[in-house]
Amino acid sequence: MNSARAIDISVGFFILLGLGSVLFLVMQTLGLGQVNPGGAYTLQARFDHIGDLKLRAPVSLAGVTIGRVSKITADPVEFRAVVELRIDSNFGNLPIDTYASIASKGLLGGKYIELSPGGDEEVLQDRDEIELTQSAVLLENLIGKYMLNGTAE
Amino acid sequence: MLADNSAANLVEVQDVHYSRNERAVFNGLSLDVPRGKVTAVMGPSGTGKTTLLNLITGQLLPDEGVVLFDGRVVCPCSRRRLYQTRRQMGVLFQHGALLTNLNVFENVAFPLREHTKLPEQLIRQIVLMKLHSVGLRAAWQHMPAQLSGGMVRRVALARALVMDPTLIIYDEPFVGLDPISKGVIVRLIRQTNDALGITSIVVTHDVAETEILADLSYLLSGGKVVAHGTPQDLHKDKSEIVQQFVRGLADGPVPFHYPGADYSAQLRAMAGA
Amino acid sequence: MNAALRDFWLSFSQFAATFGGFQMFSFRLLPYLPKAILRPRLISEQIYSLGALSLVLIMFGGLFVGMVLALQSYNTLAEFGSTESLGAFTSEALVRELGPVVAALLFAGRAGSAVASEVGLMRATDQISALELMAVDPIQRVVVPRFVAGVISVPLLAAIFSAMGVLGAYLVGVHVLGVDVGAFWSQINERVDMHADVGIGLFKSFIFGISASLMGVFEGYNAPPNAAGVSRAATRTVVITSVWILLLDFILTGLTLPKV
Repeated sequence: MNSARAIDISVGFFILLGLGSVLFLVMQTLGLGQVNPGGAYTLQARFDHIGDLKLRAPVSLAGVTIGRVSKITADPVEFRAVVELRIDSNFGNLPIDTYASIASKGLLGGKYIELSPGGDEEVLQDRDEIELTQSAVLLENLIGKYMLNGTAE
Repeated sequence: MLADNSAANLVEVQDVHYSRNERAVFNGLSLDVPRGKVTAVMGPSGTGKTTLLNLITGQLLPDEGVVLFDGRVVCPCSRRRLYQTRRQMGVLFQHGALLTNLNVFENVAFPLREHTKLPEQLIRQIVLMKLHSVGLRAAWQHMPAQLSGGMVRRVALARALVMDPTLIIYDEPFVGLDPISKGVIVRLIRQTNDALGITSIVVTHDVAETEILADLSYLLSGGKVVAHGTPQDLHKDKSEIVQQFVRGLADGPVPFHYPGADYSAQLRAMAGA
Repeated sequence: MNAALRDFWLSFSQFAATFGGFQMFSFRLLPYLPKAILRPRLISEQIYSLGALSLVLIMFGGLFVGMVLALQSYNTLAEFGSTESLGAFTSEALVRELGPVVAALLFAGRAGSAVASEVGLMRATDQISALELMAVDPIQRVVVPRFVAGVISVPLLAAIFSAMGVLGAYLVGVHVLGVDVGAFWSQINERVDMHADVGIGLFKSFIFGISASLMGVFEGYNAPPNAAGVSRAATRTVVITSVWILLLDFILTGLTLPKV
């Protein structure tokens, strides 16, 4: 009954193609922090303004993504933004005087967190807070400043 | 003919009432099907002949009264017992009802494959034997779509017989067949009944075929049996409905005109108020 | 006025009755599912008929939708100077929405109507009755394999659709519109999340598969046993399934939107 075999082959091919597609899509979208089972740890940072920093925005060290923004809340006491960062455990030796600044990818690009490590011997542990932060530079404020300076001439 | 020796009757319908959509289909229907004989059930269109078959096979439940098969009530019953009962019945549907995605051989083999664990060799022999008895052994590879109406019904007969049932029911087996095919079916019904010693019920309105075929005939009308006996008895029956049916008269107890308003009254009404 | 209200009430109660019947039918199927594994051949035949035979439609559909999406969104993205996000934008749209929804709609049209007509035709030609009388449960043998095959096939078809869409977007974006190939793929990696996007897309298509298969077999099984009834059942399947999928998509998307 070779029509039965033909059906089996077609079904097998179809299922393989489907699973292959799923695999393809998964591979294309796999990012850091989702794949490291060794885990990640959390750091906190507070900013006066985060601009349009979004969840899952990259946390970058020397331009390389080592983590993601995992939570953004507002502190009702200090009136600042509290940002949680999930960092790959391989980078567990960030000094406590590391700078966290909110940078833009290009003039109109999305915001991300750039870490600039300091030189202290003590390192940040899980749940520690990064003390040194630089808030986002807002385009409107920048333009406003230029206009003010311009008219003052 | 309502014998009180129930061992002589394979199927008994006792005072059955059944309604559908608030219309009474059966109103105290009683009939007996004696073992080993061909019993015909006839009647004008719409008298519920197919409903009767459904009551016998347990696909429908009577509102009142009982249907007995081999001395036991067909339904209400458990699903398991119903299936067991049905294994002893073979049904030939009006248009065969073969499974369209299987060829002739596989269609006849279907009940064997589903219900038995017989080895392939044995299945082959049984199927070919049954196909041979209906004259279609050489057509085993064809798909149902490639067969003529008469051949489809013959294959369906082979399938109905493959599990050696005690009762076989034919639902309008002669509909739409040419005289030769009709003759074939008549011969097959008679031969099957006699050779295998099974009981046959033939639901039909073909008076001519019934006369050749049936040992016993019932005529249904208005939800009851209005006549029964041998085909010759029916011919001699004096009642109007039997005469209209047997002789094929256009008008009589079953009226020609669909019941409604008086003709001239309706013409006047439509012409203007 | 009263007549209109009465008509509305009649249609509504008929709808409710059919809907109730549909629920009952679906629940009836549940106990049959475990036993269905015993007949893998039946399921496999249906996967061939419903899934494998829809491949060409789905693959071409996905490819062209991806290409058109890339063409369409390029201009808008160019206005904001974000053309390198073309990959991310199109992939996200495909994986989350277009893949599951369009694949399910195509499935409803091709396979849903086929199932409805097949099953309906079997009923009209007494094959269902014959199965019952041969002591074979028609639900187990005819309905359940088609249902299971649909539930398996639709997510696979959605994934294939999305993958072909990404491929189409890549072909148009990189080779026709000149987007940087590295940027195309890396942006996808950056911005499209496996759990939130791919995962949600698969989950949606699974739900759609269940719905489309259920509706197809339901309409077919309950179709009036004549030619007009069967063809009407096939058309109804397509219409009702499509509307239901779009509605479900709205609900599921609303429930699973990421918090910004």
